Amino acid sequence: MSIEHTSSGSPATGVVTDALLDLSVVTKQFGGLVAVKDVDLQIRPQEIVSVIGPNGAGKTTVFNLITGIYRPTFGDIRLEGKTLVGLSPDQIVKRGIARTFQNIRLFNNMTVLENVLVGQHTQLKATILGSLFKPPRVVREEAHARERALELLGFFGTALLERQEEYVINLSYADRRRVEIARALAANPKVLLLDEPTAGMNDTETLEAVKYIRRLRDELGLTILLIEHKLAVTMGMSDRIAVLDYGQKIAEGLPEDIRRNPKVIAAYLGTASSEETSEEATKSVE
Amino acid sequence: MSMRLLKFPDERETRLLFVKWLVALLIPVLAFTLWDGESILNNTLLTLFTGFTVEGVTTIGFVLSTVFVLIFYAVTFALAGYFLAADSGRRSMIELWIDVVIFTLVPMLLVILTTSLVVGLALCIVVWPIYFWVRKRVVAALHYAPPDPLDEVMELSPAQQDALKDRGRSGGFWFGTAFSLIWLVIDLVYLFSGGLPTPVLIFVILRTILFPVFGLLLGQLGGELALRRTLGALQKKADAKDKNAPAVDLESEIKSLSPTRAREEVKELVPNDQPMRSRGAQLFYLALLAAFVLLYPALDPLLFSFGTVGRISGFADAGYYVILALGLNIVVGFAGLLDLGYVAFFAIGAYTWALIGSGQFTVLTGLQVNPQVWPWLFWPVLILSACVAAFWGVLLGIPTLRLRGDYLAIVTLGFGEIIPIIFLQMDKYTNGTNGVVGIFSPHFPGINWTTFTPVPYYYLILALIVLLIFINLRLRDSRLGRAWIAIREDEIAAASSGINLANTKLFAFGAGAFFSGIAGAYHAAKVGNVTPDAFSYNDSIIYLAMVVIGGLGSIPGVIVGALVVYAVNQLILAQLDTMAADPSSVLHIVKVLAPTFTFDSIRNLIFGTILVTVMLFRPEGLIPSARRRRELHHVDQGQDVEVGSLDVPPGTPGFESEIRVE
Repeated sequence: MSIEHTSSGSPATGVVTDALLDLSVVTKQFGGLVAVKDVDLQIRPQEIVSVIGPNGAGKTTVFNLITGIYRPTFGDIRLEGKTLVGLSPDQIVKRGIARTFQNIRLFNNMTVLENVLVGQHTQLKATILGSLFKPPRVVREEAHARERALELLGFFGTALLERQEEYVINLSYADRRRVEIARALAANPKVLLLDEPTAGMNDTETLEAVKYIRRLRDELGLTILLIEHKLAVTMGMSDRIAVLDYGQKIAEGLPEDIRRNPKVIAAYLGTASSEETSEEATKSVE
Repeated sequence: MSMRLLKFPDERETRLLFVKWLVALLIPVLAFTLWDGESILNNTLLTLFTGFTVEGVTTIGFVLSTVFVLIFYAVTFALAGYFLAADSGRRSMIELWIDVVIFTLVPMLLVILTTSLVVGLALCIVVWPIYFWVRKRVVAALHYAPPDPLDEVMELSPAQQDALKDRGRSGGFWFGTAFSLIWLVIDLVYLFSGGLPTPVLIFVILRTILFPVFGLLLGQLGGELALRRTLGALQKKADAKDKNAPAVDLESEIKSLSPTRAREEVKELVPNDQPMRSRGAQLFYLALLAAFVLLYPALDPLLFSFGTVGRISGFADAGYYVILALGLNIVVGFAGLLDLGYVAFFAIGAYTWALIGSGQFTVLTGLQVNPQVWPWLFWPVLILSACVAAFWGVLLGIPTLRLRGDYLAIVTLGFGEIIPIIFLQMDKYTNGTNGVVGIFSPHFPGINWTTFTPVPYYYLILALIVLLIFINLRLRDSRLGRAWIAIREDEIAAASSGINLANTKLFAFGAGAFFSGIAGAYHAAKVGNVTPDAFSYNDSIIYLAMVVIGGLGSIPGVIVGALVVYAVNQLILAQLDTMAADPSSVLHIVKVLAPTFTFDSIRNLIFGTILVTVMLFRPEGLIPSARRRRELHHVDQGQDVEVGSLDVPPGTPGFESEIRVE
């Protein structure tokens, strides 16, 4: 049973601290198909860890296992030492894990502000009777929730604040991504899972996204687990990288090491080319 | 306030504005006055001051009707001020006058011609869409492009704000003056042709002096209410509300919104291109509607000469449909759970009072029931029925928790069938097919309340409706309401935002059933008997139709939907045969041409056709919630090009939504 650890030691020094999020031997089988096999991963507080791998490697499945959408066939997932296996997704949110989705799942017919207010569901305590009679406590809570939502939107500058009453379906892709992150932040999580946060973005938008993801860790003290396909982003932003292929973790370590790892290169480019292109790959990604 | 302000404006633009609105408002006001307003007022005076009586109408009835007429005039004076202050002046007069005639004169005309409030208004619902369609064609043919409402979004300077207020004040004054002068002329004609009784004469003199004064005061009120909706005033309100949060500039906010969304926001602002449709005006309309509904039992005998009791009883019956629609709105409209068996909870509520508040209680428990005392129990049992129904709502919701859409609907359909059959089979307790009779009406101090006195029931259902609207609004704008809408939109995203799906869905079922429990107990008391065959699958579908046709998720929508479906289904379609038998009515031709034909046999066909037509042309419902209208008319009205999913560049919402790899 690990001890709860709240210090924020420098994330990249490699000092051994206790894991905030701990996956041990996590396996998920769908009938005959083994989607994820024996995955071990420890995430330390305030780290930015990337999970990469070719398509179909099981990265989103790992996310779904952590957030309770799937239940592991075998293995354990612990947050601050307490197991998450068997909990429903909403209970896991209450424990302190929030996520965004690869395909952006916002509540399309609600406004920006309403989406972020829904994100605060676990932080509010109003019951059905409280909502009916609206005692001062509930009125205060709603006002505070609204202020907090506006603050969260303000994290991304004025663009979302100005569009707070807009229906999210009318926003640009990059703005929708930001709203989804704001909604996840509204749950006051300890760990934030971002599933391909820069998918579909051009270079400018990607750089902006990298900046605000870094700020999420630096200013808000969040621990971030990232699925990312753009190698430049992964290399530049992560403290550590884990590589999945066919459901298994084939490598883990610092970005520079992963870049040169022959197994990783083989997974992306195929074994025949692994030796030839290892040098080229090293140069091009730099 | 100088006399200069009361001079009729000399700048051409302002003068035209005054003409525009004075004519626009005088049309309906004069029509109403000549139709009924004048006779109500005159008759009241005669009743109060001479021995004049009208059969079937009490003094208090006259007084209350007068109150309504005075409220009507007061609202119109205030509206004169509001419209003149709020109008930006960019839209043409003729357009406005035609709109006014269609929306005020046509209903009056139809009600007079059909001698029925309900049929007249129902015909309006047919006429108005046709008018809109014609209007659209004419506008297109004339190549008339209405000005962009966003152009008018700007802060008003203090000088402009004062000008607004002055316009409102003079508007009310000149409207009051014009109206009283025209009315004076009409009454002078009466005076010279036949003479007027003294009380009426005194009234005419008083009125001619006082109306301009009231116009001035109420017009000022209207102007000030308009001022509260300018950009500057709304900005101040927003700043005060969010004092601890980052401030947003409303003007740039509105300009950065998408066209459809911006158009919604602009409807609230002053100056406005179409102030008749603005939110400020809607408050006035609501006030007038509230006065009408409250005072209706007094007004009815004066508007129509016979059939009052039947009509009020009919409205008191329609009321419970409104409550059912409001309850089903929570389950289907907010939470998106398709419930096809809603009648089950209505039956549970009805039987709860039936089994307690009648002789059946003696059968069940052996205790004697005192008919003087027992009916007082109606009030606590009303709440009890609601709670019992809510309990069963939660219980019957549990099996549906893991099911989606269609499968959930089938399970609810099953329960909708099972519950009435249980009541039928438990005949030892519920008296089976014969049902429970002799159910007590409630007792209230000072009121004679039986199954045959509709007026207390009318006010009871009105009070219940107001209460339940309030509950509905509070729920919708709460943490729970947001959770319901989130579940409807995307269950997985909702669960991933921390919403407990099971509890939230069960709350929806429970809250919906609570409403129908209240409706059930009320219905049992009003009708006086309940039988199992009164609750069928057909009814569940009708309730669903009310909610969908009215506007899923929209509170005013489902209320109107309930009234319209009730009017069409229970009143009009049911009476087509009676109307056809009457030789003076238009429908008699059908009887002559095909003597064996009855409307009753094609009643469901007609009703079904109406439902299909409405869904084809207005799937978002009669008064849709803003969300729903947007949801169903996806293409922005500004953009012409429909882009297929494969034409849309990757990374945009269109691309992502069509090509989904799960």
